[in-house]
Amino acid sequence: MRQNYDFKIDKIKDLTPEEISLRKKNLELFYRTGFPNKKDEDWKFSDLNTILSKNFNKIVNNDFLPRETEFKIIEEFEHNFISLFNGKLITKDFSYEEKNKIVIDKFNYKNELSSDSKSSLYFLNNALATGGFSLEISKNYKLKKPLVIYNNFSNSLKETIVNYKNSIILNENSELNLINYFNNSSKENFMVNTLENIKIKKDASLKNILVNSSECNGYFYKYIKSDIERNSSFENYLLSSGLKFNKIDIEINLNEENSNSSVFTALNLINNDHQEIKTRVNHNAPNCHSFQKIKNVLNNESKGVYQGKIFVKNIAQKTDAYQLSKALIIDDGAEFDAKPELEIYADDVKCSHGSTSGNIDLNSLHYLKSRGIPEKEAFRMLINGFLGEILEKLSEGKLKNFLTKKLESQIHGY
Amino acid sequence: MLNIKNLEATIDNKHILKGLNLNIKPGEVHAIMGPNGSGKSTLANVLSGKNGYEIKGDIKYNGESLSELSTEERAQKGIFLAFQYPLEIPGVNTNTFLRTSVNSVRKAQGEKELDTLTFLKLIKEKASELGIDEKFLSRQLNVGFSGGEKKKNEILQMKLLQPKLSILDETDSGLDIDALRIVANGVNSYKSKENAFLIITHYQRLLDYIKPDYVHILSHGKIIKTGDADLGVQLEKTGYSKIV
Repeated sequence: MRQNYDFKIDKIKDLTPEEISLRKKNLELFYRTGFPNKKDEDWKFSDLNTILSKNFNKIVNNDFLPRETEFKIIEEFEHNFISLFNGKLITKDFSYEEKNKIVIDKFNYKNELSSDSKSSLYFLNNALATGGFSLEISKNYKLKKPLVIYNNFSNSLKETIVNYKNSIILNENSELNLINYFNNSSKENFMVNTLENIKIKKDASLKNILVNSSECNGYFYKYIKSDIERNSSFENYLLSSGLKFNKIDIEINLNEENSNSSVFTALNLINNDHQEIKTRVNHNAPNCHSFQKIKNVLNNESKGVYQGKIFVKNIAQKTDAYQLSKALIIDDGAEFDAKPELEIYADDVKCSHGSTSGNIDLNSLHYLKSRGIPEKEAFRMLINGFLGEILEKLSEGKLKNFLTKKLESQIHGY
Repeated sequence: MLNIKNLEATIDNKHILKGLNLNIKPGEVHAIMGPNGSGKSTLANVLSGKNGYEIKGDIKYNGESLSELSTEERAQKGIFLAFQYPLEIPGVNTNTFLRTSVNSVRKAQGEKELDTLTFLKLIKEKASELGIDEKFLSRQLNVGFSGGEKKKNEILQMKLLQPKLSILDETDSGLDIDALRIVANGVNSYKSKENAFLIITHYQRLLDYIKPDYVHILSHGKIIKTGDADLGVQLEKTGYSKIV
């Protein structure tokens, strides 16, 4: 089924003639295939075209939406923040940090648009993207407090797609804890297509945390491309729940020796939520370590997907790569699909992967009940324990408490 | 307190308990001994309300029919089972679990729930009585605990929940002599006129520390002999084959 869309480049402000032509070319390339469907291997378990057809009458882009600037600041821990509204950078507050160590600005599209990709959502993003941010942390600077990105969306985004790009650069020996925070309860259907480019220079460390705090009628796709240099660390914690559709596609390139990456996800899906985590970890250099733990709890008619590929280049000896997916399927109507893949061209590596799915362990449930804990609560404790395990490696403190509470609040309705 | 009449239990088409009778009064300590496969753990499971058993016969607890009560209601009314194999539950913090458990029982009994500080004080006191290191309390429930630590944790739960009827299912298995003594002391210090114990064991050695009023021998799903503490001692010398 072909989607009914109405995308107009002339709805975007302040474009040069070159940009207009490049954007039009990208839009043409998008139109050739439209939204991805299950015939595309990368989308075989998440037929976006069908999902959108069922839930949107037509999809438009619109750069001229009224601005709603009110949003709730997280009170549980001290933090710097920036706020985005429909993808556009609105406010920034780095009052905990030294001046001139952090550069934050609107994303500059002038030199960033190209048309060399095979993904139709990439083309669409190139054609329509506005807003977004670029963030750069200076050499040797470690942020004193975490940075929260408030991702706010208008309540009047009906049948509208928002496209934007972000760029994050951590220079040598810098450190950042980043929390991507979504708190939207829009009942209108809208879509968000984000491309994010992350560069982590040597000896730097980034924690990238994604938290979703409420239910909304949003359909989200985010592609994160990351390039990691020597002795660096890139940790991802994805706690996402309550979205109609959410696909997070992470590419991690471990380009130099002794770097680490991890992906921890805890997803609790209800109703007919559909979420996919797709990872591609490229071990392009020796002595790197990658770790993935993917946890899903599936209720009602929800669907969860994990596609994870580990690629080990021939020179990447002493690679240590681990990938584990565990799913709890609570209701008969729920579905979980996993496609773990290893592609290894080096001979001295340690790579392992595993995938399990099952129901809640009845013996554990009995044990908790035998201590007087009512069944519902015992159930919730087990689900919570199952998902909460992904936060174990975070150091104790207010941020961890906040994330633990957020995870607990996602497990409602039992 | 507990009156079991003609109890039969079947699981997966295996008929395990075949007409078991047992009466326990407040303040009494009963031991059930028997060879492997005689139905000891099945009895413990059935009393705790574990699913999957087809049950005939009658179990009354303080006059109330147990079959009417869910597992959690039994616990809330004062029945406690110390598991033979306590479960490891990843992601569930031991302290949180204990507090949830104690407060669930208190709430059901119409008592005020304990706040974090009061609970912390209580648990520190009880843990130290059993020689449990405080750091265990902040770990995930039973995960990576040794056999002895798991069993001590069971006795800690018993002392926190203050049950009327405590069923100890092979609590002595996997314990070294020191741990056995600590566990036995834990039980002995909780003995009272109101509380009863049902101790399920293979060996006499636990009964050297916790003196039973009655020893029952279970074989093929029935109690075939009942005696006083001497029966256990005798059994240790002769073995089951002479009696069963």
